[in-house]
Amino acid sequence: MIEPNPINRRAALASLGAGMGTLGLFNSLQAATDMAPHFAPRAKRVIHLFMNGGPFGPDFLDPKPALKKYEGQRPEGTDLRTERPTGGLLNAPYKYTRHGQSGLPVSSLLPHTAKFADELCVLRSVHTDNPNHGPALLLMNNGTMTPKVPSMGAWMSYGLGTENSNLPPYIVLCPGRPVRFSILWNSAFLPSQHQGVYINHSKIAPKEMIPWLRNTKLDPTVQRRQLDLMQALNREHLAQQNTPDLALEGRIEAMETAYRMQFAATDAFDITKEPTKVREAYGKGHFANGCLLARRLSERGVRFIQVYYGNGQPWDTHSNHNKTTPNLAKNIDQPMAALLGDLKSRGLLEDTLIVWGGEFGRTPVSENGNGRDHNPHGFMMWLAGGGVKGGTTYGESDAFGFKAEQNRMHIHDLHATLLHLLGIDHERLTYRHAGRDFRLTDVHGYVAKEILA
Amino acid sequence: MIKHLNQSFILLFCGCFVLFTAVGFSAEPSAEGLAFFEKKIRPVLVEHCYKCHSADSEKIRGELLVDTRDGLLKGGESGHAVVPKNLEASILIEAIGHEDEDLAMPPKKKLPASVIADFEKWIMMGAPDPRDGTGPIEKPNWDKARDHWAFKAPQKPALPEVKQTEWARTDVDRFIFSKLEEQSLKPAKYADRRTLIRRLFFDLNGVPPTPGEVEDFVADKNPQAYSKLVDRLLASESFGERWGRHWLDVARYAESSGKETNLAYPHAWRYRDYVIDSFNSDKPYNQFIREQLAGDLMPARDNPHRAELMTATGFLALGPKSHNERSRMQFAVDMVDEQIETLSRSMLGLTIACARCHDHKFDPIPQNEYYSMAGILYNTETHFGTIQGPGNRHSSRLLNLPTETTDTPGRTLTATERTRLEKALADSKKDRDQLVAQARQERRDGSGDIQRTLFRTRVANSRVSDITEKLGGFNENGQSIPRAMGVRDRGFVRETRVLERGEINQPGERVGRGFVSIVNPDFKPFFNRRGSGRLQMAEWIVSPGNPLTSRVMVNRIWHHLFGQGLVRSMDNFGSTGEAPSHPELLDHLAIQFVDQGWSVKKMIRQIVLSRTYRMTSSYDSENFQADPENRYLWRVNKRRLDAESIRDAMLSASGLLDWDRPRDSLVAKAGNGQVNRSRNLQPRNLIQTFDHRSVFLPIVRDLVPPSLALFDYAEPSLVTGKRDVTTVPSQALYLMNDPFVLRAADNMARRVFEKASSPEKRVQLAYQLAYGRQPSNREINSTRQFFERFQAEQKKQTSSRINNNRGSAWSCFCQALLCSAEFRYLN
Repeated sequence: MIEPNPINRRAALASLGAGMGTLGLFNSLQAATDMAPHFAPRAKRVIHLFMNGGPFGPDFLDPKPALKKYEGQRPEGTDLRTERPTGGLLNAPYKYTRHGQSGLPVSSLLPHTAKFADELCVLRSVHTDNPNHGPALLLMNNGTMTPKVPSMGAWMSYGLGTENSNLPPYIVLCPGRPVRFSILWNSAFLPSQHQGVYINHSKIAPKEMIPWLRNTKLDPTVQRRQLDLMQALNREHLAQQNTPDLALEGRIEAMETAYRMQFAATDAFDITKEPTKVREAYGKGHFANGCLLARRLSERGVRFIQVYYGNGQPWDTHSNHNKTTPNLAKNIDQPMAALLGDLKSRGLLEDTLIVWGGEFGRTPVSENGNGRDHNPHGFMMWLAGGGVKGGTTYGESDAFGFKAEQNRMHIHDLHATLLHLLGIDHERLTYRHAGRDFRLTDVHGYVAKEILA
Repeated sequence: MIKHLNQSFILLFCGCFVLFTAVGFSAEPSAEGLAFFEKKIRPVLVEHCYKCHSADSEKIRGELLVDTRDGLLKGGESGHAVVPKNLEASILIEAIGHEDEDLAMPPKKKLPASVIADFEKWIMMGAPDPRDGTGPIEKPNWDKARDHWAFKAPQKPALPEVKQTEWARTDVDRFIFSKLEEQSLKPAKYADRRTLIRRLFFDLNGVPPTPGEVEDFVADKNPQAYSKLVDRLLASESFGERWGRHWLDVARYAESSGKETNLAYPHAWRYRDYVIDSFNSDKPYNQFIREQLAGDLMPARDNPHRAELMTATGFLALGPKSHNERSRMQFAVDMVDEQIETLSRSMLGLTIACARCHDHKFDPIPQNEYYSMAGILYNTETHFGTIQGPGNRHSSRLLNLPTETTDTPGRTLTATERTRLEKALADSKKDRDQLVAQARQERRDGSGDIQRTLFRTRVANSRVSDITEKLGGFNENGQSIPRAMGVRDRGFVRETRVLERGEINQPGERVGRGFVSIVNPDFKPFFNRRGSGRLQMAEWIVSPGNPLTSRVMVNRIWHHLFGQGLVRSMDNFGSTGEAPSHPELLDHLAIQFVDQGWSVKKMIRQIVLSRTYRMTSSYDSENFQADPENRYLWRVNKRRLDAESIRDAMLSASGLLDWDRPRDSLVAKAGNGQVNRSRNLQPRNLIQTFDHRSVFLPIVRDLVPPSLALFDYAEPSLVTGKRDVTTVPSQALYLMNDPFVLRAADNMARRVFEKASSPEKRVQLAYQLAYGRQPSNREINSTRQFFERFQAEQKKQTSSRINNNRGSAWSCFCQALLCSAEFRYLN
């Protein structure tokens, strides 16, 4: 384990530089960085609302009347093959009405979100490669099933740096754990400050959420004295080296950041500081709290915030799909609408991109008679805010919402598009490792220009 | 612009090792154009052309590949297949038009006129094509790769001449110094004894010396003092705990399956102990490898030896697994792939698993040789335990050992416990049988919720298995039966087939079993019906003709002593790996390693006795300008302690360290189950007051104890020859606020208080415990200032949370030492 030397670091940077232009100088321990993106960014930060388990698009924003028409049947000539044995088509019995100036069709499950129909850009033709949760989660987060590549949040942090050196640039909120854990927000070979900081927000007190945030023994002023001594020793140690040592200086700085974070995070993660009116607007529950935290963090310059809906895979409705879904919808609808409205009224929606979706979708045909199986062939996601065309849809799946057909959008294309909105050319955000240049989109990815505002 | 890549066309490259450059285009094709391609063009290409003109073709005809955009544009022997918007120049049109008999394609039957019209239309649209890739895939250039240095046997080099002969103490020094002279670099001076003893203690035993040991060594006038210290540390039990852990990093040791369901492996710890013991007894490294791959097939002296040999094969059994995988065959194939990946990277520094889906792109490893090796492991039974039930579709028996492998016997089962378990078993069986009957009934008459009943049946069944497994751990006298993870031969042999693209539903040609020919030039696959061939595979790995095994291991040893290997790509000696900084030295050491009976201790001893190892880490600006990365070793590298050493050093300085080896592991105590589900298995709950050395902490995949994970612990699902060194704010938060650190600081304060009588002496002792040296005057001043301010703060606070006694000030001071940079750095 060698401590990089100052020039060593610079040499390393220079050698990295070839693939990444002016991007991604790893610098996060210093003050907020101001990095030049590849082109004018439309969004500065991303909030990813992750419906882990996989929701079914036609329940919400992708009307499929054929489901009712052919309910219980497996129409001839259509290929509805899935992983597990499935029966006939299962209806999505939710009424659609048109909303906003755009007239975007929204189902009755999202009455609050419907008010922001003109902000939504519905992607109806997303598809992925694997029908199992683990690999699909990896694909959605890391762009590949291969372990040990950086997650998209790590790429974003690496590419754009941080806007607030008192907080981590990439924060993952989950009241529990998705079925794959830290690998979903890992930084792999990227410098480790870009990895996501996982926070279990099932309890709302900041010190419960963030490990080691509070010292159980020492008062902040006393801890400051202790830190002063520690830093005096560190500087003494540095003086003994008779050489500038950026790495050691970095550690001294990391101690200071951590000390400040104790207070910055205590404030940022404390949703009880919100006025009652605001908290009521978001409603109750983990997801509501997650959305509110996401707003607090985005206004403090956190680059990428993921809010997982819940522990495990709550959206994985293999049975009783139509009984469970309205409850799930109820838990997300009001918080999402509150988040959209809150960001909008604060002028943050302009440069904050919201991404909604699961790791894949679900089958239009039934499993166990009343459930829906995994479906990677075609599913729905939506975007809002930062640089996307609101009140629009993009792509279409077949008549039943099984397979993406028009304007198919692979996960790689989604990633390319998200990076594009952040001002990053996905082909130029690269990192040289193990003898090759790595990208989030590997060798794939098309930017869906049609959805850019 | 949507790009649609149908999976079946994507070459299933082994993602990590493929060099790809993105191909840019000048103008992006329109969505309509691409849709046209997808609908009309691609299906035809796939159906009629790919057989002979794609990267996956058995034989590529006419040097033409049509499975990438660039391949079509570049064309083959006859010229450009497609020239956008130019039908005349596009030879493809000529070929499919069957105008020229020699060129006619597809050769047997002309395409329908409508299809030909589609192609013409498509070319006139500008030939929109979303497919990526570097065009004609260059067949791997193995001729060059075969010449790669690492595939040639080490050559015994002549000892280099050095001008200043007095500098070089050992042969190692001559190699290092001759390079330094060549590069006009000046070697650093000898480090002082204080620095050396700290370095040696951490490097050889992973713990700091006590203040007494430091002072004795500094005062020792005997010229042999240093070598005596080295011998003492090599003989210490702590040696195996340190160096065994290095091996556990490359053996991806863990006590759970990882992946989706993350099941506990409560018996994995025996392998951990086996590794520690092997390093302590200086087991010859070739023997160590043989045992891990084929211990079960080797003759044993007696029962304890038999148990040891069986435990060794845990190496193959404890990799990460998808226990919830639906397909049995997929599970088996993935497990073998993981075994190949691990053994080839850890022992050979080769990435053989890259050849699972296709010939290796860089190293001369054809896909069929991968399957030859896989055949050996397909014909091996892997025993990993676990209980089948919801979340686990794959369980297996464990190996029953003929005798206990530790000094402490396992717990016994009392008669009352047995009665209780037997009753529970009977009840669960009854439950299960009832549920089975109910399910039958429901299926027959369509009543009830059959899915729910079936699920409950599975739960009940897993309860039966769970209790059966518990009872199976004891003999009739209630004594525990020692069990281990490991492998053994199946007893009959199935033939092996290559899986096209690594896919289980695409079996291809039949292959014999064998080993990769690049390190085994006499490669002859065998088809015998008796054994799996595992022992033979182990022999190939350690055979004197194998150019990699000894080099890879001496490089690992070098890395752990200097912080960087002679070859820095520790686990990749293939053609994409890094070249050695001192090739002759590497060969010299590799040959010597074998000549000295593969003794790890002798190798370490020889290296640490060199002058090179004993240099300071001092900075020199001229040297630094010329060799900033210190590739030529003009000084010793300054290193951060690894995660275990940081924790062990805190335990040691505070006096909390429990030196005993615990029997088994906290995971073993918690038993079978999903680690995410069981509260008992959360390491956080398990390790509140666990003060044994860090190597004995429970290692659960995805739940590595934070004290280790934070400081760049080896990812336990992957072969990790070299750990990262990172600095993140959460490390600082941990050091400032973690209860473990606070407890260590408290204890250190108490210790300092008890051992020394005056404040001055206490401060001195604290510095000695933390740094192995006396404080400087400036440090004494800073310390004094700290105590004064601390007291001033205390006075100011009326409703202070601070415990108003001297102890808290001393604890706070000790913590500052434990969290300072010097504490976790090695000069």
